[in-house]
Parts: sequence; C-alpha cells; structure tokens
Amino acid sequence: MLSRVADSLFWMSRYIERTDGIMRMLKIHYASSQDDTHDFAWRPVLKIFSFLDEAEMARLEGNSREVLRFMVVDRENPNSVLNMVTKSRENARAVQDHITKEVWQCLNEFYHIVRDEKLERALKYEDPITVLDSLIRQGMLYYGTTEITMARGEGMCFMNIGKYLERAIQSADILQVNFSDLHLEADKMTDPSYWKYFLMSISGYELYLKNYRSGFETKNILDQIIFNINFPRSIHYSIQQMHRYFERLKNERNLDQFEKIHFQIGKLRSAVQFSNVDMTLNEGLPNYLGRIHNDLYSIGNALNKQYFAYT
Amino acid sequence: MNSSLLFENYPLPEGIWDEMYASGDVRAPYRSIYEFLQSIPPDELNKKEELARRLFMSQGITFTVYSSGEGIEKIFPFDIIPRIVTAAEWDFIERGIKQRLKALNLFLKDVYHDQFIIKDGVVPADLIYSCPHYIREMMGVNVPHDIYVHIAGIDLIRDHDGTFYILEDNLRTPSGVSYMIENREITKRIFPDLIPQNHVRPVNQYPTILHKNLVALSPRPVANPTVVLLTPGMYNSAYFEHTTLARLMGVELVEGRDLVVENHIVYMKTTNGLQQVDVIYRRVDDDYLDPLVFNPASELGVSGILSAYRKGNVAIVNAIGNGVADDKAIYVYVPEMIKYYLNEEPLLKNVPTYQLKNPDESKHVLDNITKMVVKKTNGSGGYGMLMGHEASDQEIADYKKEILKDPRQFIAQPVISLSSAPCYINGKARPRRLDLRPFALCGPSGIEIVPGGLTRVALKEGSLVVNSSQGGGSKDTWVLSV
Repeated sequence: MLSRVADSLFWMSRYIERTDGIMRMLKIHYASSQDDTHDFAWRPVLKIFSFLDEAEMARLEGNSREVLRFMVVDRENPNSVLNMVTKSRENARAVQDHITKEVWQCLNEFYHIVRDEKLERALKYEDPITVLDSLIRQGMLYYGTTEITMARGEGMCFMNIGKYLERAIQSADILQVNFSDLHLEADKMTDPSYWKYFLMSISGYELYLKNYRSGFETKNILDQIIFNINFPRSIHYSIQQMHRYFERLKNERNLDQFEKIHFQIGKLRSAVQFSNVDMTLNEGLPNYLGRIHNDLYSIGNALNKQYFAYT
Repeated sequence: MNSSLLFENYPLPEGIWDEMYASGDVRAPYRSIYEFLQSIPPDELNKKEELARRLFMSQGITFTVYSSGEGIEKIFPFDIIPRIVTAAEWDFIERGIKQRLKALNLFLKDVYHDQFIIKDGVVPADLIYSCPHYIREMMGVNVPHDIYVHIAGIDLIRDHDGTFYILEDNLRTPSGVSYMIENREITKRIFPDLIPQNHVRPVNQYPTILHKNLVALSPRPVANPTVVLLTPGMYNSAYFEHTTLARLMGVELVEGRDLVVENHIVYMKTTNGLQQVDVIYRRVDDDYLDPLVFNPASELGVSGILSAYRKGNVAIVNAIGNGVADDKAIYVYVPEMIKYYLNEEPLLKNVPTYQLKNPDESKHVLDNITKMVVKKTNGSGGYGMLMGHEASDQEIADYKKEILKDPRQFIAQPVISLSSAPCYINGKARPRRLDLRPFALCGPSGIEIVPGGLTRVALKEGSLVVNSSQGGGSKDTWVLSV
C-alpha cells in the first residue's frame, strides 16, 4: 500500500472518530444544560475541543446555541464538525480506490449534509438534540458501512489504528478536563445528574449501573473509563485494539520499523493493563493521564515517521 | 397539465441537422423515446432531473471549484434526454475511427523514427519541428508493440446534411470517459427498463478492455504487473474520472510524489518499502511528466521517468510526444496520411481547414472571417477561439493582430453548424447543439471502440461551444444494437 494512502486512511478514520466524540459530548452537555439550575458551563468541552483564548471562551461558555454553532458549523474552528467531516472526506477522496464505494458515498453525503445551510438554521431554531442525533447517525452509518464493506487488509488496519488511537486520546483528555477541574466545582461531585450525563456522553452509563452498585464515585468512574476492558471507549480497550490491528501489519519487509512501534504500543498497553485506580491516584491523576496522553501522541508521530512519510 | 406539451413549439432550426426531427417528423430511432417522454407527466420529468442531480452529488461525480479558500462541488450538467446513434451510423463511425487511428499510430512511429512521410514530401518538415508537442527525446525510442495512441477521444460533429466530420483528434490525455460510464448508470436509475427496451448497447466493458491492454504492455514478464494511474491530484478538474477509472480497473491511483526513479526503474513508495511499477496510465501532460526533461517547476511529475521509459523499463500510456499528431495544423494532413500509410480513402472527413501560415489561405480566411472559426493549433478546452460569426469588430481586430504575430499557431475552419438534439430545459424540449466523442482503445490485439461515447451539448441557446469549461453539458449516448 502506498504510504500516502495509508496516511489518508489513518486520518480519514481519525477525523470521524473525533467528530463522533465531539457530537456525543455536545449532545449530552446540551441536554445537561437544560437541567441546570445555575449557568451551565461549556468550558470543559471548549477546553478539549477548541483552541479559543480565555476571552473568547468566557464570551461563549454561557450560551449553548452559540457553542453548538461554533462546535458544529463554524468554518474558522478547525475542530468544528464541519471542518472535521470535510477533512475526513478530503482524505477519503484521495483514496477512493482503496475504500469501498459505499464508504465513499457515506462520507460524501455526510460532507454535503454538514455544508448545507439548513444545518446552521436548524441548530439555531430547532431542537438541537434532534439535529445532533441525525448527525451522530450519519457517523454511525460510516462505522457500520466500513465494518460491513471494507476488505480486512492493510487499509482497514490503518483505519482502525487511527480510530482507536484517537479514541484513547479523547478518553484521556475527557478525564483530564473533568477531573482536574473538580476542586473548583466540588458540588458537582455530589451531583448525580452531572455524572449521569458525563457517563452518557461517552455511552458508558448503562455499563456503569451494571458494574458498580454504590452510586457515583470518582474511583469507579475512573476504573470504567481507564481500565474496563469491556467498555469500548476505555483507554485500555482502545489501546488493546490498536495493538491488535498494528500487529497485523507485521511482515518480513518492514520488520525494523514494525518492531520500533510495536515496542511502544506494547509498553503502553502493559502500563495500563497492569495498573489500577489506586496506583493511579497515588501517582496523581493529572500526571498519570498526562503520561498516557504523551505516549499516545508519540505513537502517532512514530507511525507518521515509519509508515506514512512519503516526501 | 397535458404531458404531450413537452415537444410543443419545438423550434426546428433551419439549415441544421436535428437528431430527432426530420422535416417535422420524428426520426424512426427516436420514436420510442419520444413517445415514452410524452407519456410522463411533466412534474415527473422534473423529479427525474432532480434525482439525476442528487445521484451525481451524492456519488461525488463532481469537480471542485475553489473560491475564497473554500471548495464548492459542481456537477458537469447532465441532460436527461439521451442522444441516439443508430447501428448503421455507429458501424460507419467505428470503421472510420479505426482507419484514422491506424494511420495516426503509423504516423507517430514514422515521425519518431525514419520520417518517410517527411522525406516523401507528404507532410512538411517545418510543420513537425515547429509543433510544441513534438518531443525530440522520443526520436528512435521504441515503444511496446509500436502503439503510441492507446486511448483516443476523437471528436465528431454533424453538418447540416447529417454527414459526420472529424473535428479533433485527442491523442494525448483525452478525458470524459467516466461520464460515458456514469451517464449511463444515471439513465438506468432515472428511466427504469428503458435501456433494454431500446436495445442499447452496453458501455461498462470499457475499464476491463483498458485494463487488459495496460497489463499487456508490462515490460516485465510477470503474471501480475503493477499498473498505476498517475493523476495530477485532487485539485484537477478530472480527478473524479481518475479515481473512477482506478477503482473500476483495480489499479493503484498515484501522484507524482508517490513515485521515485532509481537506476532507471520506477518505484512507488509503499508502507513496505519500494515496489516496482510496470505500466503507468498517466493523466499528466507531457510538459509536467519529468521535471528533469520538461518543465523543471513541475511538482506533478517524476524526475527520471523519461529515462526509465526510454530504456523500456516502464510503459507509459499514452506515449510521450503524441501531441505532434493531434496538433491542429497536422490535422489538415491526416487524410493524406491515411492514403499514404494505408492506401485507402478516408471514411470520415476532415472539416475543411485553412492554415494561416500559407499566405493565400490566410487571405481567404481574413477576407471571410465572419464565416470562420479560428483556433490555436495547440489549444484545447474551447479557449482562445474566435467565433467569427458572433465576434465584435474589436475582437476580430485584436485576434487578427495575434494571428499576424505567429501564423503557424493558427488554423481556421468554416463555421460548421453542429447538429442539434432535444434537451430538457425548463420543462420543455428544446434543440441544443452537440458533438460526439467516442473513446477508442488500441491494444496489441487491435483497436476496440466501446459503442457509446461522450455527447457534449452546448446548453446555451444557439451556442456552438460544447466545452464543459464554457457552459457545456453532456448526455447519455445510446448506440442501438438493431
């Protein structure tokens, strides 16, 4: 496979994963904002997904509709759904001969939907949940279509590596933002509706109820999002999947480059696998998450250097 | 509303061959589609037009226009009423194009080897050497199977009496074949059952034939040679076509930056290191192909590719240097070539063409300029043309100045009226002018022409310019089997 093609497939997939994450966050945070008795703060969302300065953030954070507009259709925001989908589709367009026609059409339609002026109007005047749901469904259509139609070859491996790398990064970032701000909003810790929405935003609510019987506790939430191997958005699960798809890339012609990255991913996987919440809290959560975050980024960089470099 | 109003007041232009109407009567091959269209309520036709538009959009059969930093997806306009070519007409076209291509291939081999045609005084030497697309580096290079033109998109038009004429030979990187294929797919969707009912010959075998020919050119005798399609990239307006062809043939779509030449061998850069490339179907012009030999600023090409080609380590399709055969000044000599190489009378006629480098022809053209179309010999896309019958005095004066600077660069042809066919315009069938570009494929086993082609249509009323860059659209082209 061409290095350029591998690069495009990786990013096509990563951008959609990020889009999906953003949209789920927006949906649940919006829903949560409707429950709030005091001003709902969009700050954690804006902190993870935008590059706004303090003043801009202060201007936006209290206005739900404005945040939604900024996060979904703003052309200047590089992390807006519109720009993410555009980038994903641009990557797809450059590798049309390596994805199925169905996958291409799915992303192409998604692109036309997010660029339609109707979307901005709908976000402004209609029920945002309905609007976001329809966009999320478009993303799920992509996941299903790739799952059903794509050949299980090298291309699919690069797509999955991109997907799970992005997912692991997002889960780490979400925890970082939500828990590092805790001391500022101590009352949130006792506010079950906040944690309910938080878990729902990453589709982890039902699993949490089944696993942990004692209501919402920081330790349990961390356990699920970092360590629970059955939770598809947990860091452990994501790294395990990334590891699995990366191992399929091994062949005699690329042993050197393969071994380097394999070592990195394996090391990170062990670090998560043979660890637990108590050890994490002893080390200090921000430290621990920061380490994971950095390791994930250096895996991304190594992939870029070893597999995608074509100039 | 009565649907039979569709063809009401169809203005039959005088002195023009209408594909559907002959002196008020519907021609036999069109009768079935005529009746079918009449039977459909008008709002259903609008829905079909909308469905076609949506299908093009959602499948990404689009080109991107960039304005204020943002890409806007555009559709090459598609007219829903098909254009019909009868079995007898097609038989004649097919024989005519095969004959012409055979001669053009022999001409290219001759020009780049022994040059008998120059020595025998059939084509003047200065005309060849002054052609910007004559590539000196190709002299003496042997190409696989002596085939230069693997893919030709020859443009045909019809005069007022229905006679077919050759307008241009496109022998370099002709485009539009994906629209031949996709227009047919769209017609199947908007008019169910109509294709089989009308005994329309299929066109979807094109990629298979092309792929077979490409594989046969591999310099390495391996079972599964690496064939790639070289595109200038996604900013090219024909990028959709490149991706479609690569997908339909199952070959790798590459850009110049994906390729590298080492020791006169072309490789592509893969995740598992370098992989040798055997055949390149390139959609990059000669000028941009190899920055070491041609345009040094080109980022679309591959350094050293020409040396790999000259050594026979890689096959390039179409061959380099073909532009010398589809130059508009050389065009004048194609009928002579057919006689010279094949000892046959040309089946398909040339449009009468005047060369402005010849003083008496130049005088005749300038005296009758309002009845002439003047073109640059190496122009394309409908740019840089003067349509004498509709140009202002000032435009004519300016153009004359250009001509006098370098007459070799210009030819003139009398305005040929171009046949018309009904197009669906604002709820009515209206005549619009069109041409026909069939795509011919030459391989080691001979020339094959897929029965169909790209019908381009000038959607502006009265316009004779069918180029997509100038407001043209396209139609599905039906070649009937009976």
